[in-house]
Amino acid sequence: MSAKSFRVISIAVILVMLFTACGKTTPATGSTKEKVNLTFWYWAESDAPGADAWMTESVEAYKQVNPNVTINVVPQSTDTLISAFQSAVTAKSGPDIASQWATGPVLGFVWQDALVPISDYVSADEIKNWLNTNENTYNGKVWGASMYLIGIEIMYNKAMFAQAGVTPPASGRWTWDEFITACEKLKTAGITPFIAGDKDGYGGAWWFAHVGMQGLDSTDDLRQAIIGNKDFTDPHYTGWYSSLDEMVKKGYFNEDVMSLDLSQGAQAFSQGQGAMSWGTDGMIKQALTDLGADKVGVMRTPQLGAGKLADTGNATQSITFFLTKWSTHPQEAADFLVYLHTADRLTSWYQHTGVIAADARFDRNLVTDPVLKQMVEWETTGPQIWLENFLPGQLDSDADLTAGQMIFSQSGTPADAAALWQRSAETWRNQHPDELTNWKNWQQ
Amino acid sequence: MLEKKLSTGTGITFRKIEPYLYLAPATILVVLVFLYPIVDIIRTSLLQNNPDGIKTFGFTNYRLVFEDPVFWQALGNNGKLLLSVPILTVLSLLIAILLFEHVRGWLVYRGIIFMPYVLAVPVVGVTFGYLLGLNGIFNTLLRSAGLAFLAQNWLGSVKWVLPSISVVIIYREMGFGVVLFLARLMSLEKEILEAAAIDGANFWQKHFYVTLPQLSGVIEFFVVVELITMLSWVFAYVFVMTGGGPGFASTVMEFYIWKHAFAFRSPGIASALAVVLLMVTTLLIVLQLRLRRRSLEEGA
Amino acid sequence: MKTPKSLRRIRTLLASIPNQIVLILFSILSIYPVYYMAVTAFKTRPDWLHNQFGLPNPFTFQNITDALIKGEIPLWFGNSLIVTVASLVVTTVVSALAAYAIARFRFPGRAFYFNMMIALMVIPPAVLILPLFVLMVNINLINKLPSVIIIYSGLLIPFSVYLLVSFFRSLPPELFDAASIDGCNNLDMFWRISLPLSTPALVTLIVVNALFVWNELLIALVFLQDQSQKTLMPGLTLFKGHFTVNEPLIMAGTLIATIPMILLYLFGQRLFVEGLVAGAVK
Repeated sequence: MSAKSFRVISIAVILVMLFTACGKTTPATGSTKEKVNLTFWYWAESDAPGADAWMTESVEAYKQVNPNVTINVVPQSTDTLISAFQSAVTAKSGPDIASQWATGPVLGFVWQDALVPISDYVSADEIKNWLNTNENTYNGKVWGASMYLIGIEIMYNKAMFAQAGVTPPASGRWTWDEFITACEKLKTAGITPFIAGDKDGYGGAWWFAHVGMQGLDSTDDLRQAIIGNKDFTDPHYTGWYSSLDEMVKKGYFNEDVMSLDLSQGAQAFSQGQGAMSWGTDGMIKQALTDLGADKVGVMRTPQLGAGKLADTGNATQSITFFLTKWSTHPQEAADFLVYLHTADRLTSWYQHTGVIAADARFDRNLVTDPVLKQMVEWETTGPQIWLENFLPGQLDSDADLTAGQMIFSQSGTPADAAALWQRSAETWRNQHPDELTNWKNWQQ
Repeated sequence: MLEKKLSTGTGITFRKIEPYLYLAPATILVVLVFLYPIVDIIRTSLLQNNPDGIKTFGFTNYRLVFEDPVFWQALGNNGKLLLSVPILTVLSLLIAILLFEHVRGWLVYRGIIFMPYVLAVPVVGVTFGYLLGLNGIFNTLLRSAGLAFLAQNWLGSVKWVLPSISVVIIYREMGFGVVLFLARLMSLEKEILEAAAIDGANFWQKHFYVTLPQLSGVIEFFVVVELITMLSWVFAYVFVMTGGGPGFASTVMEFYIWKHAFAFRSPGIASALAVVLLMVTTLLIVLQLRLRRRSLEEGA
Repeated sequence: MKTPKSLRRIRTLLASIPNQIVLILFSILSIYPVYYMAVTAFKTRPDWLHNQFGLPNPFTFQNITDALIKGEIPLWFGNSLIVTVASLVVTTVVSALAAYAIARFRFPGRAFYFNMMIALMVIPPAVLILPLFVLMVNINLINKLPSVIIIYSGLLIPFSVYLLVSFFRSLPPELFDAASIDGCNNLDMFWRISLPLSTPALVTLIVVNALFVWNELLIALVFLQDQSQKTLMPGLTLFKGHFTVNEPLIMAGTLIATIPMILLYLFGQRLFVEGLVAGAVK
């Protein structure tokens, strides 16, 4: 009796577990042509609002041409972009195509043997049209596809400048002293000189990539400090924090800089809450819409440092799309990425986002606004480096983002910020001797 | 008659194994979800990285953890969160006693005050993110009350971020405490309280000397549950509201473990951190065992 | 001397005014975030930027429809429901059986087993996720709902067993003696006595556990990366990370996620609140 009822319960329990275990199996249906399902972990919307809508359109369009290929796009969030893909790498299963920020993050996964080079699946003739492929070239291979180019420069509110009697630089670029003088004038006129957001830490990271870079001579210069041959406490690397600190102390930033995220800071500029802010092409486009086409101007970041990179631009592909090692259809996945670089898609990309496509075939005449035209010229002339891409992820998170917050929230001095860089680099080197080896061998 | 004899015949062995059959399904899950992972993290925490990529056994991960100031800060942050448990408990008790005093509309109040406990943590976190912004409602109220000097960057300042998170946790958990205490109060015998009132005890004397001792059991239960919450269940609040910042000011152990395990690719460090956290929670286990002794005495 | 009845009533009313004030204050605090969420969800973005705290002007449904389209909230909601129900069924059945054994039988290892359960109650899930992640990968359950169902069921066992053991113990032994004389075996007694008499404790357990599973973020975030498998909490969190500058849209998403819980609460309040404490207060 009892044994029998016990068995009934056990069976019930097992059934429940089986039921839940079998909940979501997709039946394999046979068809004439082999059906290919591709999963694409996609990130771009935060850089370029409109990017999601463009991707939806592109997937639909691709389906028309290749009815056997289904692309399942999974939008990714900035906060978990790295950790989600790291989990997939640990699991050795996940998307066929994934997104990571260029250079450091991409190569970090290359070294974990999680990627196949896209140059093995796409002809050199095609790839030569893609811009900034150098950001992901390693061991003679190109590891991912660029899609767009963004750079950041300073956007300013013309009306506020006029009100405070500030004239924008004739050459398009101020010296640091001119910049500070302008800030003081704006402040005196009761205007917030520079509006930004650093709750998420990216505001500070942009200062590093943009102003911090000016003191350096090359990316290898930075690498020497990362691998421990030089000290981050050297003002060469971290001296610029004093200038940032001075600006914060003088009240040149909005008071709520620490309760806004980076993109909320740009939004506040669009609302007319400050005279200057960092702007990507997309953010500038938004400001032009919100404030009026003739109300916004752009200038290059004032010159602070005297390193060889002081004049280098910062345009980057930002995000890279690449093929994963475990994908069973790398060729089909690569074909889709090539499709995204067809003329029609490149034009559509620009129409959706206002950000230029990273392709030599992109028709630059589409950019008609003089302000945005100016940005494009800066972004495509001369060498371009986004310095944040040349940091190990842990150092970016623990030192770059954190040191910026330290200064913006005034919870530490510039010396504390420098010490944090040094300490975090040491921690990273100790915790990741294997990664350190890769960084040591990496010839930039 | 015959059936009974038969069952006793085979019963001796069955009787012996019967309790274990009842325990079996739970045991399988517990081994899978708790015991295997604990053994595994201890092993992983002893595997250290080397420049050539080959892993060897040793205590390096622990040394690196103890040398890392962020680890101490994260542990300290959990400790500071524990400090909000007394505040939470006292507030819940106070509201429960007020409701118990047959205030008009107490059922409605109870319904409203319990509601935050039903809200999802990310929902609470996102909403409070806006309310506690520098130009959020909280500061707006302070400013319009002429208290502008009190307005703070609640989630963006190193000094205020942890207290602010505590307030949000208290906001959500208080409903649970109120309902729990109120239910216990209502099961008390009326005569005792009435006798105290007749003896001339005032409101506070009555509750302090008569009510509180009666509630000690349920208070202890609540305190232990909340201590566990502050040590082991605050990830969602931190992740949604601050991402551990500014700096590391709101980084808690759970968040730091997650970061090392899934963002920094350092399973060894993550495991060593986890083992240390495990050691700390053993302190709570001691508390728990006291609770168990009480409940055993009651049960027996 | 006797105070007239009406006067006494007025006096008690006056005396309760401070209490009323405190309670009203706390009620406003409790309800305000929900109010804020609701009004923000129906604002246009330009309206929100200039009018954060007032009523929507103009009133719009755009955010709600956008959130439903862009956020896959109905899908996440369904997944949360499946995960919650399945975890509750497994953990309740399994824990009740174990608790019954501990409460009713004397056997070697009983005390050890119960102590272990109590000790496991304080283990932070963050400690367990890395090995569990690798395990789920190896048994090919990663990115599938059963992975989190198994983990939640397991995580809830210690607390459930603890609560049920103390309740089962409080049941009068005479009942079991009588049933035993009537020829009931242990499993019959489990079904016919222990479970029905423990309804308050079971309701408490289900409510507490349901709230836990429904609200869990860390495990869901790590184990369910696939869009179609996400539950509501990571879905909402990532939704927030994705539309940072569109606050009304985010609030619309959270509102949609919250409404069913509030409705459930409003309609089942008595059962909910009383069930929550019935077992714990015992």
